[in-house]
Amino acid sequence: MTNAELLKTSLHASHLELKAKMSPFAGYDMPVQYTSVKEEVLSVRQNVGVFDVSHMGEFFVRGTDAVKFVDEMITNDFASAPVGKAVYSPLCRDNGTVIDDLIAYKLAADEVLICVNASNIAKDWNWISQFAPQYNCKLTNESDDFSLLALQGPKTVEIMQKLELLPKHDLEYYAALRFGNFILARTGYTGEDGFEIFGSHKEIKNLWTKLLELGVAPCGLAARDVLRLEVCYPLYGHELNDEITPLDAGLKWTVKLQKPKFKGQAALVEAQPKFRLAKLMLEKAIPREGYAVLDSSGQTIGSVTSGTMSVSINKGIALALIQKDQWPKDEKFFIQIRQNLWPAEYTSKAFYQGAHK
Amino acid sequence: MSHQVPAELFYTKDHEWVRVEGETATVGITDFAQSALGDIVFVELPAAGSTYSHGDTFGVVESIKSVSDLFSPLDGEVLEKNEALEASPDLCNQAPYESWMIKLKLSSTNVSHLLNAKSYTEFCASLD
Repeated sequence: MTNAELLKTSLHASHLELKAKMSPFAGYDMPVQYTSVKEEVLSVRQNVGVFDVSHMGEFFVRGTDAVKFVDEMITNDFASAPVGKAVYSPLCRDNGTVIDDLIAYKLAADEVLICVNASNIAKDWNWISQFAPQYNCKLTNESDDFSLLALQGPKTVEIMQKLELLPKHDLEYYAALRFGNFILARTGYTGEDGFEIFGSHKEIKNLWTKLLELGVAPCGLAARDVLRLEVCYPLYGHELNDEITPLDAGLKWTVKLQKPKFKGQAALVEAQPKFRLAKLMLEKAIPREGYAVLDSSGQTIGSVTSGTMSVSINKGIALALIQKDQWPKDEKFFIQIRQNLWPAEYTSKAFYQGAHK
Repeated sequence: MSHQVPAELFYTKDHEWVRVEGETATVGITDFAQSALGDIVFVELPAAGSTYSHGDTFGVVESIKSVSDLFSPLDGEVLEKNEALEASPDLCNQAPYESWMIKLKLSSTNVSHLLNAKSYTEFCASLD
């Protein structure tokens, strides 16, 4: 795809003005970094940063059966979530493999917003739109009508107050509501406190300008990837993909087998996980996607799905899918980097503890 | 992007710089390279005694998001590596032309395949 064919978010001109390094992502020309990845990660961990994530997809479901429809499409429990709550969930095929992971926001008893990964908009739409006519609801893809900002970091509330965008009764973690011209959600992809703010292109452009004027650091996709990996959030295309089930990727907590009915249920009831996700740390080297993971006998038992240098803990960090039947009893792991085998420290907790675990 | 290209050095299209003094060459990465890579967080360099022909991979430099090979600009044997960079890789960002990576004892002093400062500047301009 040439640059001319790439899509642009409504903030594209501003990214260029800020001299961001741009790179194609999910068909969009997106900002990867503005100043330095390190500085941007630290802004979010210690202060506040803003991401243009307008490339992400927004589907709306409206009607009496809106909640029922979404609940039966996704693996997590959406039916019993109160109005105003958000639920993270995989979206699975009948065979239990993962089409995408998403957040569903229960804006009203008869209105649901589903936010999906940019690279999966068409795939998700093709899957769920075929079932919508069986329900008393209307499913629409409004991705092209919305821009989306993620304001993230411990000082988010301070900024929201200054902008008079903080609802009177605040908004708890994983809650959402319509507020003026925006949809505000207390969600994010960094492990810090934060809001995701959906709005029209025009409203979001104005808000972006105000945020920059208030000194909020613009942050790119590179920092976003480091931040999510430090708190061990999965990324579709890496820890999750078309070939594996949520049970393979440590997402058992998002699969509510006891629900009356959902896509993939029969397969997931029977499924034996093939993989287990390992969190691995290296003191002196940087693990990367695709590197082999070995046990102490030198046998290859899996591979790294995401790896980077952690800015917050200053170590190499990796998520790796390990063959479940080859999970080492001694929990000793090694990562092959070029000619060398590096001992990796296995950890059961996230690499970094943000405000939200 | 404005970046420094000292006139007295030679360059490669892989963005290494070379200072040739008699039979010794000192090698590092250019200002353009460090700027394109961003925060450099890891440098892997060869032990003294390793030998390379020009074009061979002699080491690796990593930013937070990327891994890049380092290519030997000339033929020779490694006399010394800059251990300070392995401890503080960010020196490459701060002072790319002081942060040399290896010193080579050259087996051939033919530098005809290298770029001078003017050609390298033009080459970088063609990449933008």
